[in-house]
Amino acid sequence: MGIVNPKHKTIGDRLTNVFLGCCVIFIIIVCIYPFWHVIMYSLSDSRAAMSGGVFLLPRSFTLDSYSMLMSTQRIFNAMWNSIKKTLVGTSLAMVVTVLTAYPLSRGDLKGRRFFLLMIYFTMLFSSGIIPTYIQIKNLGLLDTFWVYVFPGAMSAYNMFVLRNFFATIPDSLSESATLDEANPLQILTRIVLPLSKAALATIALYYVNSFWNSYMDGVLYVTSTRLELLQVYVRMLISLTGSLAAVGEVGDLSGRGVITEDSIKMTVIAISVIPVILFYLFLQKYFQKGVTVGAVKG
Amino acid sequence: MTRITAPKGVGSMSRPTGKKWLAYLKSHWLLYAMLIPGIVYIIFFKYIPMYGVTIAFRNYNGIGDISSAPWVGWANFARLFSTRAFKRALTNNIVISVEKLIFGFPSPIILALIIDSIRRKRIKKVVQTAVILPNLISWVVLYGVLYAILSPSTGVVKALLEAFGYQGTIPNLLAQKSSFRALIVISHIWQASGTATVVYLAAIMGVDQELYDAAAIDGAGYWRQLWHVTLSGIRTTVATLFVIRVGDLMFAGFDQIFAISNDAVITVCDIIDTYVYRIGLTQRSFSLATAAGLFQSATGLVLVLITNRIAKKMDPDSGLF
Repeated sequence: MGIVNPKHKTIGDRLTNVFLGCCVIFIIIVCIYPFWHVIMYSLSDSRAAMSGGVFLLPRSFTLDSYSMLMSTQRIFNAMWNSIKKTLVGTSLAMVVTVLTAYPLSRGDLKGRRFFLLMIYFTMLFSSGIIPTYIQIKNLGLLDTFWVYVFPGAMSAYNMFVLRNFFATIPDSLSESATLDEANPLQILTRIVLPLSKAALATIALYYVNSFWNSYMDGVLYVTSTRLELLQVYVRMLISLTGSLAAVGEVGDLSGRGVITEDSIKMTVIAISVIPVILFYLFLQKYFQKGVTVGAVKG
Repeated sequence: MTRITAPKGVGSMSRPTGKKWLAYLKSHWLLYAMLIPGIVYIIFFKYIPMYGVTIAFRNYNGIGDISSAPWVGWANFARLFSTRAFKRALTNNIVISVEKLIFGFPSPIILALIIDSIRRKRIKKVVQTAVILPNLISWVVLYGVLYAILSPSTGVVKALLEAFGYQGTIPNLLAQKSSFRALIVISHIWQASGTATVVYLAAIMGVDQELYDAAAIDGAGYWRQLWHVTLSGIRTTVATLFVIRVGDLMFAGFDQIFAISNDAVITVCDIIDTYVYRIGLTQRSFSLATAAGLFQSATGLVLVLITNRIAKKMDPDSGLF
């Protein structure tokens, strides 16, 4: 690492260190404070929060806006749809990705190049919004739950990452299994997958993240409120601009103190951000690893 | 799917070809069976829609079979390039993505260099964790966060300006044409820099430590080591990520712009994707929208091929393929 030798610090070196230190503080604030702000605002009393400004802690702590938001069925429905989409989508995508990546990692598979090119080309050229929409309509997926999972059943990028990982597993391991009359599926489940736990975890995280965050499918292919995604609901709430009348649509106003539209907005954002942050903090080592795994080309 | 050529060198040489083929199939059929879900997916969701791009050359009204729609050749493209809205979308698209490239491409490199210079492991870890955070959150939600920071009545920016004695009114940056593109670019940098930063950090870790020692002995300070050792050590990674970014030039960020744009700023941020969405799915001009989408994808493909070629010429280790 190109760091200044601490024994002989010149003035220039000291200035460099101060400058770098300031940069670090700035980066931390820019990346963390906005989310902190939203969460603290959502935990504050609406009237106290109204003046705005910087929030280091909640102002007169209350969960009123949470209980108001939670008094409607709609947010639970939206949350459940997003959770279901993420769980079903990730499971399906993992199965499809593993089943595709393993054969394509085997050097003895005839026609391997053809299949690889066929999949690689989809990364270079996409047919666009309208042809995809028409195909999804023709398949009868519009306004069904399956439109959330089938169109994302495999990411070509993740498939290549996993295939490259599988290819690093020494052939000798699977060859010894072949001698014992194991079929490819048994080799995959008994030898290859147990050796690939970290890579699988990383890819699963990427799928979880993309299924949870994607919202265009909810905008393009779904119109019924029953199938509404959390992100789409958040979008609806944030873009509302009609003061309390709009808030009335959100939940029951009676019997509570004043709750402003801003409080409701911050609360719905906090509700969708907090799970992601917790999830990330627990599993961040896989995220970091994953980015690096993906960067290795092959 | 299992269309395969006769294998060479499988089984005993003395056996007839047909038997070799059978033996190969017997030991490998399950591998082909495993490929079925992935290939079926690719065909149904990627290749059949690719046939659908022929809508761009037809007069298709959204009803019935695509192949029965009358063929009109390049007429849709001619019409497309004569409409003011598409020209505006194309210009915005190019301006926004070039600005994102110019200002956004160096920022993860700078971030990685700063993070790399931190010597306390725990702080380093915190910063590394923090930079990825915005990348994990949906643009819909990030828009709400931007609103919280920039709101002209209750936002943080207003409070900070007032703390420094500013008295005037604060413009609503989320609805002001003159600054909206800057907002798009800055929020893009904020959201997207993290992942590339981690890639660069990994590349920096791979730089030979002895080179730094040698440079230090030669009297090179922090900045000269940065230039001659670190940056020159990661140039392959830089070139590869650059190819990827240039290949994406036609895609100016649909998720982001769809989430944060509004009618007040539409003239400066309507990109090809939002244009396609609007005229295709809201106004149902399928053929025109498909033509716009095809123009976008085809140009994108050409850009990837050209930049990959150039990168390969400059440095054979870089590039995508």
